[in-house]
Amino acid sequence: MSSNIYKNKKPIIFFLVPAFAFLAIFLYYPFLQNILNSFKVINNLGSSAKGWNDPWFTNYVELCKDENIRVALVNTVKMIAATIIGQLGIAIVLSLMVDNIKRGQKFFRTVYFFPIVIAATALGLLFNLVFLYDKGMLNQLRELFGAVKLVDFKDNSHAMLTMMIPVTWQYVGFYFIILITGLNNISDDIYEAATIDGASRLQRVRYISLPLLHNVICTCGVLAVTGALKVFDLPWIMFPKGMPSNSTWLTGTYMYYHAFESHNVDYSSAISVLIVILGVVTAKIVNAVFKEKDY
Amino acid sequence: MKKMLAMLLTGAMVLSLAACGNSSSGNAPAQSSSGAEESKEMGGGSVTLNVTTTFAGEDTNAANYQEAIAAWQEETGNKINDASGTSAETFKARVISDFEMGSEPDVLFYFNGVDSNPFVEAGKVVSIEEIRKTYPDYATNMKDGMMGASPVDGKNYSVPVNGYWEGLFVNKEVCQAAGIEIPSADTTWDEFMDICQQVKDAGYTPIATSFAEIPHYWFEFCIYNYLTPATHNVLPGSVDDEHGKAWVNGIGDMKTLYEKGFLPDNTLSATDGETFQLFIDGKAAFLIDGSWKVGGIEGATDDVDNFTVTYVPGKNDRKSTDIIGGLSSGWYITKKAWDDPEKQKACVEFISYMTSDEMVSKFASVSATALKNGTQVDESQLSSLAVAGLDMVEGATGMASAVQDQVTQEERVPVFNGMPDIVTGKKDIAEAIAELLDLVAAGKTE
Repeated sequence: MSSNIYKNKKPIIFFLVPAFAFLAIFLYYPFLQNILNSFKVINNLGSSAKGWNDPWFTNYVELCKDENIRVALVNTVKMIAATIIGQLGIAIVLSLMVDNIKRGQKFFRTVYFFPIVIAATALGLLFNLVFLYDKGMLNQLRELFGAVKLVDFKDNSHAMLTMMIPVTWQYVGFYFIILITGLNNISDDIYEAATIDGASRLQRVRYISLPLLHNVICTCGVLAVTGALKVFDLPWIMFPKGMPSNSTWLTGTYMYYHAFESHNVDYSSAISVLIVILGVVTAKIVNAVFKEKDY
Repeated sequence: MKKMLAMLLTGAMVLSLAACGNSSSGNAPAQSSSGAEESKEMGGGSVTLNVTTTFAGEDTNAANYQEAIAAWQEETGNKINDASGTSAETFKARVISDFEMGSEPDVLFYFNGVDSNPFVEAGKVVSIEEIRKTYPDYATNMKDGMMGASPVDGKNYSVPVNGYWEGLFVNKEVCQAAGIEIPSADTTWDEFMDICQQVKDAGYTPIATSFAEIPHYWFEFCIYNYLTPATHNVLPGSVDDEHGKAWVNGIGDMKTLYEKGFLPDNTLSATDGETFQLFIDGKAAFLIDGSWKVGGIEGATDDVDNFTVTYVPGKNDRKSTDIIGGLSSGWYITKKAWDDPEKQKACVEFISYMTSDEMVSKFASVSATALKNGTQVDESQLSSLAVAGLDMVEGATGMASAVQDQVTQEERVPVFNGMPDIVTGKKDIAEAIAELLDLVAAGKTE
């Protein structure tokens, strides 16, 4: 009799329903409504649609012609590349180095993880001060070393790099922690055996650490790429409205701008549909590239 | 035993869900669309009004408002359910959706420009004219012509409290270091250009502004220079008509300011906050901003006497003493409350209380009002900068409201967001204005 409770699956469904209902109400229904909204005329946040666009796919035609969307897509791709190389690459190097030291592992874990606990908006403001034109930290340092002319780190030629540096820096610690945990799970016996066989440190990293870390790196890769697609808060704080001259748009910031700044809600909905499609396609590609292996 | 445990767990979960439901509804009493039964105090006969305003957060009048409603509640025995919020886009969205869903407040303090169009068009607020049919003394202490008529039909729907003015803020130290006189009521635009050149030659930035983020103030005055207080607040029909040409010429003057190097080096990539700091730090001489900046400057400096405000120099038919200003918000009574006999009188009494001469003077301080008798401000309590602002408004020969308030955020994009491209010559001025006017026309036909 006591084992009946394990055979009866009905209670499990009962427990699953609230979470499913929550998702259905706050994710799936708004998403479907958002698709409909992208075909309608909505000029104010909170106001209902004034009818269907004429023709109904107007916003999607506009998307194809919109120069800023092209900029946003290119910048998003750049951001993905910066994320993989910057965040994941640096995190791998740091984790391998920290794994090879005997003392101070805990210290470095805390130091590298720290940026994660700071709100992105606060980081945006902080880096605004670092890159500030007048009295900014970098320009002051340059002056200290004899530079006469101030550099505008937010002008057209520097803007994207200025945006990518803090975004990259912020999440290095996140992947570092995941990777170092993965490294700690590799048995010391394997390293000892390799050492006895005469393997150098570099060889141990190349032939033991990296292959055994492959699946963890794949997971980090998927997280990094999907994270890069969603990045919004820090770029928006540092470069609102695509400043300067519409050169720093990302898909997320451009969608937000149309919803909350220009009040072109239906066009914003079309952009968000594009973001979802982009997300699904990218996730497929990333999953194929970072394919996990069975050992 | 395990079955019992499972049942207990299930029961606990159901109870916790129910508790969550209760607590969430309990946490949002203020803005709930309470029905009639919720609106009336049980047995006491007093009325509960649902009120939404922008007097919240860092608004300078948030404390004044809280004091005022506490006093009114005590005086009348009525109750206020306050759902005020900071005047941000999410707040505007909440107000608009409340009207859409029929859960609008009884009394609303909100913008009277294009932001109010959705609920005015839907007939969900009552005009002053209609209210006066029943309450002839309603808002009679205000100048009707300054109340801020709705762009929808030109009727007054709201009773304003405090308005705004825009002027040229000056850093006196920079002017002194550059050896120039502070612009006055007699300074012309051409003389101002010479002044800016002298400031630049002395190694300072003449004008603190971010054309990347907030070109709004210079847009307004540069266009105003080709119009008059009587004609400024009219949107062009096309680029080629009188107003269209004024816009082209005005924006052309903005381009000249940029080309002459009178703006910060990074004006096309800086935020408004950064350029304001240049002004405060004594690196820029002039800044055009609104009456709300008086408090901003007072808070940002230890030496407020180093700053003053004067008229933006004019040219053509616009005198320098013709200023931009107006009353962009006011108190509305919603149709829903007006049709409720229990609430109608309380709404009228509440707004009359909040817009009395005494209360408006308290809220307005240095800003413009529509009071027939003017404000009663104790100047000894004000900073020299605030007094300069009051003097400027008193000496004004004409006032026009900002023409950009007639254009929605979406419609402004080609000119305002496109300003960096316009001043650098990447985009033609007339073309940008034509795009804006096309969006305005498209908005009217929808």
